[in-house]
Parts: sequence; C-alpha cells; structure tokens
Amino acid sequence: MSTPASRTTTITYDDQSVRQFMFFSILWGLVGMLVGVICATQLSWWQMNGKFLEQLTFGAIQAEGISFLTFGRLRPLHTNAVIFAFVGNMMFAGVYYSTQRLCKARMASDLLSKIHVWGWQLIIVAAAVTLPMGLTRGKEYAELIWPINIAVALIWVIFAINFFWTLAKRNEPSLYVALWFYIATIVTVAMLYIVNHLSLPTSLTHSYPIFGGLQDALVQWWYGHNAVAFFLTTPILGIMYYFLPKAANRPVYSYRLSIIHFWSLVFIYIWAGPHHLLNTSLPRWLQMLGMLFSLMLWAPSWGGMLNGLLTLRGAWNKLRTDPVIKFFAAGITFYGMATFEGPLLSIRAVNQLSHYTDWTIGHVHAGALGWNGLMAAGMFYWLAPRLWKTKLWSTALANLHFWVGLVGILLYVAAMWTAGIMQGLMLGEVAEGGTTLKYEFVETLKAIQIEYILRSFGGSLFLLGFVFCAINIWKTARSGQAHNDTVEVAIPEEKMDDMAIKGAIFNDPLSYIVLGLVCLCLWIFLPPHGDKVALILTVLISIKAIAAFRKDTRSWINWHERLLYNYLPFTLLVAFAVVIGGGVQIVPSLIVNREKNVEGRLQELYTPLELAGRDLYVSEGCYNCHSQMIRTLLPDVMRYSRAGKTDDYSHLGESLFDHPFQWGSKRTGPDLAREGGDIVQGAKYMRSGKRDNVWHYNHFMNPRQTSEGSNMPNYTWLFEKKTDFKALPNKIAVQTRIGVPYPPMNQHEINDNARVQAAEIAQSLAAAKVLPPAGAQNLSGDALANYLADRQVVALIAYVQKLGTYRIVEKEDGPGPVPLDPDSYRNARNPAPQTQKPDTAAN
Amino acid sequence: MSDPTESQQPKRGEFAQAKGEVILREHEYDGIQEFDQKLPNWWLFTFYFAIAWFVIYWVLYYHTGTYRTDQQKITSHLVQIEEQKSEALAATLSQLDDQTLINEWATNPEKTAAGEAIFSTNCVACHAADLSATMSVGEQKIPLPGLPLNDGQWKYGAKPLEVFNLINDGTPADSAGHNGARMQAWGQILTPEQIAEVTAFIISKNPKDFGL
Repeated sequence: MSTPASRTTTITYDDQSVRQFMFFSILWGLVGMLVGVICATQLSWWQMNGKFLEQLTFGAIQAEGISFLTFGRLRPLHTNAVIFAFVGNMMFAGVYYSTQRLCKARMASDLLSKIHVWGWQLIIVAAAVTLPMGLTRGKEYAELIWPINIAVALIWVIFAINFFWTLAKRNEPSLYVALWFYIATIVTVAMLYIVNHLSLPTSLTHSYPIFGGLQDALVQWWYGHNAVAFFLTTPILGIMYYFLPKAANRPVYSYRLSIIHFWSLVFIYIWAGPHHLLNTSLPRWLQMLGMLFSLMLWAPSWGGMLNGLLTLRGAWNKLRTDPVIKFFAAGITFYGMATFEGPLLSIRAVNQLSHYTDWTIGHVHAGALGWNGLMAAGMFYWLAPRLWKTKLWSTALANLHFWVGLVGILLYVAAMWTAGIMQGLMLGEVAEGGTTLKYEFVETLKAIQIEYILRSFGGSLFLLGFVFCAINIWKTARSGQAHNDTVEVAIPEEKMDDMAIKGAIFNDPLSYIVLGLVCLCLWIFLPPHGDKVALILTVLISIKAIAAFRKDTRSWINWHERLLYNYLPFTLLVAFAVVIGGGVQIVPSLIVNREKNVEGRLQELYTPLELAGRDLYVSEGCYNCHSQMIRTLLPDVMRYSRAGKTDDYSHLGESLFDHPFQWGSKRTGPDLAREGGDIVQGAKYMRSGKRDNVWHYNHFMNPRQTSEGSNMPNYTWLFEKKTDFKALPNKIAVQTRIGVPYPPMNQHEINDNARVQAAEIAQSLAAAKVLPPAGAQNLSGDALANYLADRQVVALIAYVQKLGTYRIVEKEDGPGPVPLDPDSYRNARNPAPQTQKPDTAAN
Repeated sequence: MSDPTESQQPKRGEFAQAKGEVILREHEYDGIQEFDQKLPNWWLFTFYFAIAWFVIYWVLYYHTGTYRTDQQKITSHLVQIEEQKSEALAATLSQLDDQTLINEWATNPEKTAAGEAIFSTNCVACHAADLSATMSVGEQKIPLPGLPLNDGQWKYGAKPLEVFNLINDGTPADSAGHNGARMQAWGQILTPEQIAEVTAFIISKNPKDFGL
C-alpha cells in the first residue's frame, strides 16, 4: 500500500477449506484418471467391459460383459470426474486460497464454505453411483440426472454467495485480475448449467430436456464448449494470475494485456459453441458464427498464455530448481498449444477430417492433462508447504512426477493425433473408380489399434505421475501441521463500491460497445439491404469509438479503474458480455427452426416401444461411440446414405423431435442415422431398415459375430432385463408437454401399441430361430417370442429400425425469406440451381 | 546514496509512462505487482485480422453468390458420382455375361480370392463363412439372417448375372425378404468389379449349380 493506513485489523484465513478441496481434488483426480485408463483399454480390448473379471476372480464372476462397467456408462463417469471432481475441487482450492488473500478478508461464511465443500463431494459420490447404473440425461458433461442437477445449482449458488459476500467485505479496494476471472466463472457457469439442464422429469431419476433436435444440439454445445471455457479455462487463468507471480516472484507482464484479453475472452468464447456442429444440419449461419468466432478467439487465448510465460522473464533460472515453475511453464505452454489447435479445428475444412475422430480427443487431453493437470500439480506443490507450514517432502519426486506426466501427455496426444488423422483419411479414401469408399468402418478401427494401446500407456504414465503427487502431498502434510495464515491488514480508506449502476452503464466506452453490438446483430439478422446499412453503421461506430478512445484515453482508463473498485457493476458487465453470444444464437433458432417452418423431411414420431428403446440407447451411452448425423460431406454421404439418393445427408427436420438430440461427437462405431427403414409388409408397427432384426439381435448379443474386429461390448443384459412398459404413458405425456406432437392416446392405447410392436419383433426373431438368450435356453417358437417381447433388446431393435425415418412436408409457396434467418435471405437471393432431384418419395 | 542497480529497475506509475519506460503499476495485490507492457504488435495484428476475416467471409458468403451452399455442393457431387456409377456398371456389364462369369471369372483364382476377401468382410454376418447362413453354438446350428448359399436353392434366379444383380441392387422391392430380412444394395458400397468378384466366388463354391 502506498499510503500508510491508520486502522488495521487481524484476519485469520480459512485455509481448512482449501486443504479439504485440495485433498478431494487429488482423491477424485486419481479415481477419474483411473476410470479414464480403463475406458482407454476398453477401446482396445472389448473384454475390458466386464469379461476380464472372469480371469481376475478365477471364474467366480461369469459374464460376457457387465452393464455398469461398459464404455458407454464409464466414459461419462470419467469426463464428469475429471472435469467436476478433479478440476472442480482444484479450482475451489485455488479460488478460496487466493480470493481471501486478494480481498484481505476471510471467506464470508464458514457455514457456507462447509456446505460448499461437503455438498460438492456428496454430488460427486451421487454421480459416481448413478452414472454406472445407466441413469443419465444423455448429453455430454451434462449427464447427471435432474435431482443432482438441482443440487449442483444450489451448491454453485452457495459458492457464489460466499464468494461475492467475501468481495463485499474486502479490505482491498481494487479487484485483481484473478478475481475478474473468478467472477466470470461463477456467473457464466451458473447461466450455462441452468439453461442446458432445463428438463421435465418423468420420474425421480429420468427427465427429457426441454430443447429438442438441432436446438438441443445448439444449447448443448453452447454449454459444452463453454464448460471448457468457464470451468476449465477462466478459473485456471485466475489461478495462474495469482500463483504464478507468487511462485516466480516476478511482476505480471502486462496489466493492459490482462484487461484486453479478459474482456475479449469472456465475450468471444460464448459464441464459439457451434464449432462442435460444423457441416451438420445446423443452419449455416450458426456454423459460420461458430467458426469465425473461434478464429477470433485465438488472440485472446494467447493473451493469457503470453501474460503467463512473459511473467517468467527474469525467473527462467528457477525452471531448473523449482518444480512449481516447471509445472506452470509447461501447463501454460500446453494452454497455448491447445488454444491454437482449437481455432484450427474450428475451420470447417479441417473439421471435416478431424471431427468424430480421435484428433478431438487428443485436443481435449492436451488441455485437460497438459493445462489443467499440470497447473493443478504446480498449485498443489506450491500450496502444500504453506498449508501445513513445512517443506515439500520431496522435490525429486515432484520432478519425477513432472517428467513422467509430461512423457505421458506427449505420448497420449501424439497417439491421438495420429489415430485421428489416419482414421479420418481412411474414412474418406475412395476406391478405384472414385464411386465407392475403400475401407469398411471396422477396418479403419483396426488400423488404429496400436495408437490406442499407446494412448492407454500414455494415460497410465500420467496417472502414475499423479500417484507420485498424492504420495508427496500426503507426506508433506504429515511432516507439518495444518496451519491457517493470520495477518494484520489495513482497513482501506479509499472509496470503494460507490459507483452507481447508472454510472457504470451510461458512459462513453459502454455506449459505443452496445451501439456497435446492436448494429452487428442487425447486420446478421436484417433482411437484404437493411443488413448492408447495419454493416456500414457498425464500421462507422467502430471508427468513431477508436477516435473517441484516442482523444480521451485517460477517462476511458479511469472508468475501467473505477470499475475495479466496484465489484457489483463489474459483475454486471461481465454478465452482459457473456449473455450476448448465446442469446444471439439460441433465441432466433428457437423462433425459426420449428416444425411449422420445416420443409422437406420431417421426422416420424417414435411409437411408444421405439421411445422406450431410445431411452435405453441413451441410458447405455450409445452416443459416446455412435453418431446420428450424416454431415454434408462426401465421405459421410457415400458411406451412410442410401443408394440412388443424391440428398441423403441428415436434414434438420429428421431429428427435430429428439429430446435429447443424439448427433454424437465421436465415431468409435459407424453413424446410425440411416439404420431405420419402412414398416415391414403385413406388420402393423414393425420396421426393417438397412439390417434386419436378426442381425441386430446377434449384434447386441455378440458384436464380433456380425462385425469381426468390433470393439463394442456384448450387451447380454439387454436379453434379460425387461422393458419398462409402465413408464411409457407418463413419458409420452411429458414428451407432449415439451412440444412433440403426439396424437392423444390413453394409457391402454399406449400399452397396447407397445405390446403389439414388441410381439411383432419378438415373433420375427423366434420365427428366424435365433439363439435363445441364457435365461431362456430351452424356449423356442411362441414361448421364446413371449419371453423376448418383454426384453429390452426388442425395444432397442425397434428404436434402431426407426432411426432417420421421415415424411415429406411440402410447402406451397416454396422457400422464402423467414425473419431472423440469414440463410433464408441468402437462398431467396441466390435460388438453388435445379440439379437437385427433389426427394418426394417418403422413406 | 543511490543504489547503482536501482536505475535499471522499472519505475512506477505515471513517471515511467512519461519517460516511455516500462511501467510498474503503483498498486500491489498481496505482494503481486504488475508491469504495464505494451501489447505485442504481432498479437494485435492476429486479433485484428481475425476480426476483419469475420466481416470479409460473412460478406462473401451472405452478400455475394461466391460460394454455393453445402447442400448444393454435395448434391452436385453425388449426381456426378451416380452418373459415374451407372457408367461403370454399364461398362462392367458390357463385358460380362453368364458364361464369362462362369468360365473366366469363377475359374480365375485371383478373382475368387478377391471375392472371398470381400465376402468375409461384408457378407459373413448374414451368410456365414461356409455359406450355410448358420452359426454353430455348441451342437446347435443357429440360422443367420441371410439365405444359405450352399443349398442349391437360388430364390432370386440361378443365373450368374441374376446373382450379380441381386447383390448390386439388394433384395427386390416387391419381395418380402427372407423372414422379413432384406439385403441391402451392395452397389452402394462395392464397385461393379468387386460385385463380379463376389459373384465369381459364390459360383466357384457351387460348381454343380452353375455348371462350372
């Protein structure tokens, strides 16, 4: 402090919560990474889905597969554990430690801190129990069922109250950059989490998301992408801004870079979500925004990296001696690498190759292992001696952790890049003559098996490194005594928290920004000619704003400085910055992309049995390996479309009523969007698509019988467990309430309908003399049909045979401009050449 | 009095700014200080360029007719492929007749080996490696979805070209299939030549039926 303070007060920081968060972060980190390693091996050896227990228990357990150990159920456990349990607790530890010191105040409420610590751990335990049971919402990183969602939201609000209350009580008038990032984290995660988890329950453990089809996809990846941004990036950047200068004992490189990269990062990040849906049936304007904002995101992300690495100038010598600096320097470098790769993968042409392959998996692990994992370890090694007032137990072991971990990451990432690029290229390789593809899907999977094994090895090394970390921290803690810092702090005399909301909103900088953004949105959404005027206005306002800034730099700077003394207006502006991107993308889509505007293909509704099958598909986590989206790309269409159709990519109407959408994000197995087909001659509801019922029956029982070399688990329990017919009336009622246009049916009609379809499928299987399942070995004919009709496998077959079926909706007036739909203006202006054979024959 | 190293230390605040030196900000947070270095130019240019590219690309796509839509592109590609396909099919068929398939293809070990490889990747799931369309589970023979190809029955025609067409086009539209099972049109996945090879393989396995 530059001015001597007249009054002081004594503060004891709450470091107990920090220790607890840190302990749980390491514990759950080990669990999450172990599950990750198991998942990785499952892709190489299908026996890892449960059959390995036969050997492990010397035959005491006999199973071809165990439901709660399958990849489809464990992969969500892995991602949730690593994101929310490992990084979540690590973030809370860092936030609690640094916020108290940056505010010179103890956390506002010990009670809230306790509820936060223990509530979060309870949520994690609940997740670890429910996910392997197959209780899921079927949306990535948002799998937890609705009662747990409510708990997460409540605990997050408690965290927010505790945090902002601490800000309100601070003895440091101005907010340091770390706190900006924490504020952005808390506000944005709350918004994302709540919107993406809006759903209507059908039971205590099951619900349907209120958004469907492409809108659900849009909301999901707005959430999914920004979970990466605001759960895995911004809080860690805040942690970097506190712990790195502390550890390096150097000033932060550039304050103005902090300002520019903070505001541009939080504003731009939100827009980039649709880059997870490039070349799909998501409207083009959303894809364009996703791609172009991702490119704009490159510089703001690197701003963070620069501020981190350049802070180390003058401290690089510590790299040799201090493991903390090693971890931070490598972590920030991985951040830079991953945030370069991100925009690269967002380019539609690159994404053609990379999407649905392991390249994406390599990318996220460069971030998760490289950035999050190394930053976490660096922070733990820095914190432990201070939290227990002792020395780090073993610097050598920490160094060993670093090198083992680093080699692990590099192996992992390199293996995934190779696997992804190779599989991507193989999938697109055409055979001689150029009219067919060279490789079957399963051949491309076999080709990357060596990479898969290398990946498991790399991941295991990283896990091993973390075991070293756990031992080191444990020994360090044992060698010291839990210690809470007590400090004498000056009570500030400067004015703070005195800015009126009006003053925060009505001022030059903000007026220019708001005006500019309004014109920018008008440019996107106004019909022809209006849009050009809006573009010119945007440019003019930008020029005017730059001129005003040049003329009056001092007052703009002062405004921002004052903002830092006023946490509520600051938070308000952060909220404003993060709301825009999602609003501009999601709201117009909710208005435009509805049934009434759909022309051409419109999805056939699921029969009750098909819906039951779909819930099983979601519950088993099939979406973790199978997509339902034929992109507008030649290799996709050549591989998955039907013969003789020239527009057989997935149309947005085909999945309009899917709650949740199941487009998937990774193809470990082939796409399933065209598996379904017509109603079989003479049947009432039973359909048959690309493959018949018997094929699917055999495939679920033993995938390798039908596809040699497949790594899919055997789903033997589907042949034993019964379909929940009783739940169907309620499920259909909820579907109707969220907008699926089911005709009115009473519960008897629903039940009869499902039973008839199940009987049809079961009879077709019995008539073909399929192999009876283990529980019905002596049955045949009608007895076998009766047995099978109740089983889950029949419902799942019903669903698979329905996939991608649609009817054709014709509009009399043809395509015309639709308000809020930039693509419709464009198409009206440049009508499509008539090369397209209109698909009039319903499937 | 003055420490000689002090003059090399960055100056604080306004004074440094006026002198054009590296600025170390006045304020400290829990002992953390901040420089206020200028933004790197290359970094700024990347940022500006990305913003400019947003405007340029959007204008090119939405305000000019420079690019076709994805749907237009893919459809024109596919129309082209469909044409190539029917040409290739016509070309293959012009050189094939029942006798050629039997006497030249089915007797050529290269062709039948190629056909067997294709068969074992694509066809065994329904027709079995031994063409019996059954799988053995213990003592039991469990039927697979497909028709047996070794029982002397040729439901959709016993002439080589009829087999060829069946594989190429899948189960005929007017047929109810086998227990409701319908074979997909393999012409979508295999080239006409590959289909001829599979046909040759099947003929070679049924010498009597085709008079080989």
